[in-house]
Amino acid sequence: MTKENIFLPQEAKILRVEKTTGLERIFTLRLADGSSLSFEPGQILEVGLFGYGEIPIGVASSPTRKKTFDIVVRSVGRVSQALNRLSEGDSLFIRGPWGKGFPLENLRGHDLLIIAGGIGLCPTRSLIQYILDRRQEFKRFILFYGARDPQQQLFAHDLADWRQAKDVEYHETVDRGTPGWQGNVGVITTLFSKTPIEADTRVVICGPPIMFKFVIRELDKLGVAPENIFVDLERRMKCGVGKCGHCQINDQYVCTDGPVFSLAQIAPLEEAI
Amino acid sequence: MGRHFLKDQDFQAFLRALLKAKAVVGPVAKKHKFVFARLEAPGDLRLDYDVTILPPKKEFSPTSQDLVRFDGARFEGCVEPQEKILFGVHFYDVKALDMTDLLFKEKNDDRNYTAHREAATIVVSNIQKVAPRAFWASIGSEVKPKGHDAWLTKISGGYVFETRTAKGEALLQYGKFVPATEAQFRAARQANEDILKKCPEKLQGSSAEVAKKVRAAFSREELWTKFAKDCFSCGSCNTVCPTCYCFDVQDWWNVDQKSGARTRTWDACLTEDFAKISLGSGAAENFREERAERFRHRFMRKSAYLNPKLGGPACVGCGRCSMACTADIADPVRVINEILEA
Repeated sequence: MTKENIFLPQEAKILRVEKTTGLERIFTLRLADGSSLSFEPGQILEVGLFGYGEIPIGVASSPTRKKTFDIVVRSVGRVSQALNRLSEGDSLFIRGPWGKGFPLENLRGHDLLIIAGGIGLCPTRSLIQYILDRRQEFKRFILFYGARDPQQQLFAHDLADWRQAKDVEYHETVDRGTPGWQGNVGVITTLFSKTPIEADTRVVICGPPIMFKFVIRELDKLGVAPENIFVDLERRMKCGVGKCGHCQINDQYVCTDGPVFSLAQIAPLEEAI
Repeated sequence: MGRHFLKDQDFQAFLRALLKAKAVVGPVAKKHKFVFARLEAPGDLRLDYDVTILPPKKEFSPTSQDLVRFDGARFEGCVEPQEKILFGVHFYDVKALDMTDLLFKEKNDDRNYTAHREAATIVVSNIQKVAPRAFWASIGSEVKPKGHDAWLTKISGGYVFETRTAKGEALLQYGKFVPATEAQFRAARQANEDILKKCPEKLQGSSAEVAKKVRAAFSREELWTKFAKDCFSCGSCNTVCPTCYCFDVQDWWNVDQKSGARTRTWDACLTEDFAKISLGSGAAENFREERAERFRHRFMRKSAYLNPKLGGPACVGCGRCSMACTADIADPVRVINEILEA
């Protein structure tokens, strides 16, 4: 009977912990039973520790990479703070993957623009790695990344790679510069002036709730159709299995119907953006 | 299945035999109200109840339910269904159970609910007394109650007992049932039809009309602000609702600080932090920050959002929310009728 319990997690071992900013840590994990986690970029996990609870986190690495997977935990509450006290060799407990990820079938064969703000780079990193690993399946690949300030930038090694890389057109900005910062300063929409974007481009957006409206306005100006814009939405996905109700947007459950939706799909939903 | 009859004088003996053999839960008096509780003696059963404070859903999705128990890094699920009989459930509550049955089962089957539900036998009782805010006769009448095993109707001289399933048939062995006559069966049907004319409140539109108009009223901010003006965000309307099933999950430790459980408790979308998330550095986002937004969400859920899935509204007209609301603003009849009139 117990094997059917959708709330039973599985153990994952921490192979590596990297402190990335003051608030976030990157965990590289492997399932304790030795199997590979089967998931799609954009899907979420419920990540927990017994005695503390569970929180929803998007997988931050691509299924194309090794037998391990990454998650990024931002210390915001009881569970995340407890997770961020863990070290290499410790275990945490996951359920999932749950939900619908990025629509790879719709993205293949097209120009792609990924717009990631703040911690929104974590779930999109799964897609970014996927694209870079199967680069020939996609056409032009543009990446916009915005952070509050240079200290808040995640995945420093990746950013360094992407700045040099030939197979991704990487543009970054920070809301506030700090001494020594040579790059762009300004909100993420200022990056639209850096490169021409074709109307037929497929666009993926993930970032803080406030960001969506402004980014979508820019895309509208460029003539990108709502069905070609995909948003990765944040809500309180408490159970991950479409039951507990906290993540509802109108009649949709973000944890099972999303978290990735096309803009056309959520256009009739008043509560979405 | 079968139509049976049990004389008044044999009813107590039937209950006694049933209670001896099985765990039986039914409506019992609690001060001047009624609750579903384990029957200790046949005399506890109050089939003359109007409505219970909480719906029978609590038998399958208790107010607090362990999902996983842990001890250090060891953990196990706790789906431990126990056979029981729910005796004397009104038809509107069966309709509500049909809804929660579907919602807990769809997509990811939640055995923490469905296993308990499967282990239960449900006996409907006809409504003998009408609750002061009931409107079950005028809402979702196109949706018929399904998930019950037998239907008991009080008529002159005794009870007509219609069995619907093998589980219902299995109860016959505990009483001196005889085949019901055609006249007794007709009297039972009449009793169940007559009571429908006695609801004190009435919805002024079909399910389809209600769904369409309520959904179309989404953007009428001034309306929802007015409706929710006196809302305390207490969630009482959710707590007493037979079709509400949202929950929170929290972990807790035993005193050894090593073992404990991951437990779900009922939650309520009218409460302030239901859709609130932390963003870090003290920042938060509340996706339904205003009382009016939360009030509206409940009405959308109850009258429009789930209809395609359920075949009708996610409200069965029990009137519990109307009675539980301190500010008396939760009454679906008043709110929906006002939207229909506009």
